[in-house]
Amino acid sequence: MFVTSTWVFVLIGAGTGLVGALLGLGGGIFLVPLLTVGLGLPIRQAITASLISVIATASASATVNLNRGLVNLRLGLLLEMATAVGGLGGALLSHLLTQRQLFLTFAATMALMSTAMLVRSKRRNVIDDVGQDPGRLGGRIEEEGRPYVYHLRRGPVALLSSLFAGAISGLLGLGGGIVKVPVLSTFCGIPIKVAAGTSTFMIGVTAATSAFVNYSRGDLNPELTAAVCLGALPASLLGARLSQKVQARSLKLLMVVVLLAVGLRMALEGR
Amino acid sequence: MKGAASSLDRLVEGLLSVGVVLAGLLLLAGLLRHDPAVLRAGLLLLMFTPVSRVVVVTVALFAQRDWAFGLMSLWILLVLLSSLRVAHFI
Repeated sequence: MFVTSTWVFVLIGAGTGLVGALLGLGGGIFLVPLLTVGLGLPIRQAITASLISVIATASASATVNLNRGLVNLRLGLLLEMATAVGGLGGALLSHLLTQRQLFLTFAATMALMSTAMLVRSKRRNVIDDVGQDPGRLGGRIEEEGRPYVYHLRRGPVALLSSLFAGAISGLLGLGGGIVKVPVLSTFCGIPIKVAAGTSTFMIGVTAATSAFVNYSRGDLNPELTAAVCLGALPASLLGARLSQKVQARSLKLLMVVVLLAVGLRMALEGR
Repeated sequence: MKGAASSLDRLVEGLLSVGVVLAGLLLLAGLLRHDPAVLRAGLLLLMFTPVSRVVVVTVALFAQRDWAFGLMSLWILLVLLSSLRVAHFI
């Protein structure tokens, strides 16, 4: 049977998978601190476990989101391209910033984003006039039984933020959803459920890119990683289903809380 | 166009479901039997699930003659392959 520590890892994976899938994140942003600060595991093992668990959460919740038409495949491909470049660039440019500068930049970004999100949380991204053409990168969505249309706005902002998301995901061992979902839903006209759904479609690939490198470097703790993923898989299926039942505004407010908590932790880390 | 896109959605959904369920079963078996080889197989299957997704989407977009988005997907596949190369998987 499982030893006690295995159950702890399964539960941690379930918790991060649930919140991650609700918001379109992989959950790496919670998992890495929980494993290192909380349980005292070496950072490299934690990052590798986190990357593989992001793949698990993203793949499982993407199945639910694809089924409900909440993944904008074309938008996902376009942004994933920028994320991939960001991932490569982040690895090459990481020596230009010190660890401290990196954490502080990250904390400032989170603070700025949560403020913008809070201020704009009452705005709706969906358009009632279903006769409008959503364009190649927009789409259609049904909310509470009513059809709506949405357009991509400020395309360059979406691309730049994806570039940034790719860069930090390579550096910190995350999927990058924590950057993309708030930017897409706050500034780019994408309804938060579509932003979250499309994010789950993208971040599995982002995390896989770094996961292979970490795996071959021998940073893998198989029992730990398997236990975390085993918790994350069913929990993220549940989280993705649950997000359908929650109002868009509540999701935005939950995201604000997560951004503030993460930003605060990063600021403390960069002190 | 819309019908084609939604059938691609369904294809990707099926692919991801198979990867996730098989990987989950391998991880469970590996943990219960304390078998590191089964655990590694499950984790590798999980890691290759997004790769197979990118391959399928790239092929499907080119088959639909959607050149612009097909090329984007191909670019993502090349980045993934270069990561596999760096990691000495290929």
